[in-house]
Amino acid sequence: MASPAWADEARETARATLADLPALTGREEDWRFTRPRDLMLEGPEPEAPGAVGDVDVPEAGQRAVRLHLADGAPSEPAITELPDGVVVGELGSALAEHEPLVRDRLLKLVGAGDKPGALNAALWSGGTFVYVPAGVDATLPTETVTTATGAAGRVATRTLVVVEEGARATVVDRYLSPDLPGRVHASTAVELFVAPNAELEHLAIVDWGAGVHHQMVLRAQVDRDARARSVVVTLGGDVVRVEPTMQIVGAGADARALGLFFAGGQQHFEHRVVSRHEAPNAYSNLLYKGALQDQARTVFYGNLIVPPGSPGTDAYQTNRNLVLNEGARADTIPFLEIETAEVKCSHAGAVGRVDDEHLFYLKSRGVPEAEAKRLIVLGFLQEVLEHVRLEELRHELEAAVERKLT
Amino acid sequence: MAEPILKIHDLQVAVDDTPILRGLDLEIPQGEVHALMGPNGSGKSTLAYAIAGHPRYDITGGTIEFEGEDVTEMEPDERAALGLFLAMQYPVEVPGVSVMNFLRASLTAVRGEEVKPREFIKEFDEASELLKFDRSFADRYLNEGFSGGEKKRHEIMQMALLKPKFAVLDETDSGLDVDALKVVSEGVNSLRGPGLGVLIITHYTRILRYIQPDVVHVMIDGKVAQTGGPELAEQLEERGYAEFGPAEAATA
Repeated sequence: MASPAWADEARETARATLADLPALTGREEDWRFTRPRDLMLEGPEPEAPGAVGDVDVPEAGQRAVRLHLADGAPSEPAITELPDGVVVGELGSALAEHEPLVRDRLLKLVGAGDKPGALNAALWSGGTFVYVPAGVDATLPTETVTTATGAAGRVATRTLVVVEEGARATVVDRYLSPDLPGRVHASTAVELFVAPNAELEHLAIVDWGAGVHHQMVLRAQVDRDARARSVVVTLGGDVVRVEPTMQIVGAGADARALGLFFAGGQQHFEHRVVSRHEAPNAYSNLLYKGALQDQARTVFYGNLIVPPGSPGTDAYQTNRNLVLNEGARADTIPFLEIETAEVKCSHAGAVGRVDDEHLFYLKSRGVPEAEAKRLIVLGFLQEVLEHVRLEELRHELEAAVERKLT
Repeated sequence: MAEPILKIHDLQVAVDDTPILRGLDLEIPQGEVHALMGPNGSGKSTLAYAIAGHPRYDITGGTIEFEGEDVTEMEPDERAALGLFLAMQYPVEVPGVSVMNFLRASLTAVRGEEVKPREFIKEFDEASELLKFDRSFADRYLNEGFSGGEKKRHEIMQMALLKPKFAVLDETDSGLDVDALKVVSEGVNSLRGPGLGVLIITHYTRILRYIQPDVVHVMIDGKVAQTGGPELAEQLEERGYAEFGPAEAATA
């Protein structure tokens, strides 16, 4: 089915915006840490490094739906079981098939107003659409695996999730590739609409092989008394920049942005995490923990924004980093912008090393140093995994982190 | 007399460049339980950490031999793999590392081969039962949120599981109520035998009523000042460390 005219127009507008916006130089405050050119946000389309064969997609646990976007190309979802009224489909097909549900929401949270947004809006080729009607429980996860094979130089995808009033959903986006012989640029936009009293858990698992440069923008709009959780697990890719924002628009909402990362070799990860309290009496918690080794570089920037008129805000922000050797470097920039009185906000950022006493304790029980460090790092990251609500997913994530650490 | 399991000769140890042990000699035959008593600041815990190989305790002279092998320069994990165990005075809390994962890694390392899950659970349960732990402890994080007594019992539980040839119990009795002290002592007593040497480091004689030592040493100012039988502990109980000279006056 051809895409509707409004969707084509949106693409055209985004293309024009992309061309019109001034080039990012890297001197902008938001781009101090990750060079824009490393993410290929403009200029000629990147060339494909050449396909290296099939991607090994590890066997995951039970899923309601699986969707595989190879190099971002659309494909049919494999549906195991879905409650009545729940829609899970490829986003391109949904433009026409579910036009009334998609039209008012697509590009509304992650639009084409800046370079990364315009790039994705202009170029996205495939994506995921999840719609859960009011009162329906869709907590059995829907999972999309986006892969890069090296056959395309750019992989641009989007996710749009709508959880209506009182409904519940779990959505997983996983990003995978083998080690590639050259660069592939991945661009992702994730839009999450969480209606009053609804509940959503979204997991983004970034587990690329070597060669992938990835820019992801995620925004959740969390309405009255809703509970939204974004979990970002960043393990793979050469350069990865993830920007999750929890936008609270209804009183009493509970929004959590959780993340963990493990960087090694020459990997460069930047996480820019924001919660915006645009309604009173809401709770938010940003918790990111990371470990890094070799010559890896990581940056955490966090911001709690409380505009005027949001009394009763209860907001927390924590980032802790474990640096395993000299030569690896972590920066942490926890920020607050508070313009309402009568709020409870805290923020903390820390960069530390493995505690010698922890190491001695484990070694004194026979555990060799490398294995002891591995256990300590897993333990350090465990605090984030504990927040993952579905136990099965939690164990899968533990296993993914363990694989990376071996 | 059995061959010594531990033989310490002229040991000198400094912490942050301050000498603490000043030429300590100690020999413990395999299968015997020795007590090391002394006033605060005499260097008892320094000896415990030096035996286990803590990097902050700098061995500036002398040797530590374990089963005839010089272990003075060895890493702590290498010493543990040989069969050396230290029950710590202040067991460390390690966030996020579950008791189960830790002990499996530990047992695997000490045995030098993978321990089958079923076999591990069996041994884990036996050791837990001996020290009165229930299964739920397996999922808790290492020492995190443990009471003082639980931490100490957990040290001995690890000893029961790892079955070392030699164990140093560093003030295992401190901070224990009578019930916990009994559990810990029964645990240690049940492990006693010709294949286990023990060094009990303590300030008080209380634990020695539950775990009868074969030999008692008194440590003063970084050296062994006197060695005797169990009756020496009784004397110390009555008279304190005063007769051992002025070092005591400063630390009493």
